[in-house]
Amino acid sequence: MNHSNGMTLIVRTVTRLSVWLIFLYGIYIILHGHLSPGGGFAGGVIIALGFLNVMLAYGRGFIQRWLNIDFMKDIEASMAALFLAVGILGISFGGGFLANFLSKGALFRLLSGGTIPILNILIGLKVAMALFVVVWTLAIMHLEEGGQE
Amino acid sequence: MTVYILCFAVLLIGIYGVLVKRDLIKIILALGIMGYATNLMIILFAYRKGGHYPILEKGREVTAMVDPLPQALILTSIVIELGITAMLVALAIRLYQKYQTFDITKIRRLSG
Repeated sequence: MNHSNGMTLIVRTVTRLSVWLIFLYGIYIILHGHLSPGGGFAGGVIIALGFLNVMLAYGRGFIQRWLNIDFMKDIEASMAALFLAVGILGISFGGGFLANFLSKGALFRLLSGGTIPILNILIGLKVAMALFVVVWTLAIMHLEEGGQE
Repeated sequence: MTVYILCFAVLLIGIYGVLVKRDLIKIILALGIMGYATNLMIILFAYRKGGHYPILEKGREVTAMVDPLPQALILTSIVIELGITAMLVALAIRLYQKYQTFDITKIRRLSG
């Protein structure tokens, strides 16, 4: 078996079965950020670790074919602009930067909290993409070549 | 009081690693341990005896809660620490590309 490209069959099988549960848990943490402990950052880190799990188990070549890294960079950059847009919409409709302009909903329901769930989703996507791209960038650096005097 | 002294002990372990170890990766890990000790100490300042986490939940009457402000600050601190660690690892990789070693006693070509 070619060990340089990913890990053994056991690790690959466990990753294939468990990584979707990791993604689901991260999405749950992001969507329930305004109701329970957690939120955009914690859920984003969990999703990024799911991607990292796939990269460790299957190797860098697989993740390059599976994901569009440039598109992930674009998502990561545009989420900051969307966060700013939500904040400016708060100036227009709510009376201050990041002010709430949506219906607050009923307490303890999933669709409540005004703009906070939207901001949580934006932060979650940004953190997930940024953290994975950071680790990816470190992983593709070559130790042996480049920069020698 | 004991927990604060233990936090300080963890900080001292980090300082020991930074000062004594010669491997760049171990120095980066020691810097991480120092950061964890600081975060833990500030979180412990905010602790109230028997306090719950400061989030309202269905079917839970309002009781004593821990202070949420240091927790929010520490979340930011963890993010910054992540960025610092990523930058240090990138610098260590660049140093390895130039010198083919992580030993800081052998990285001395710049000195005079």
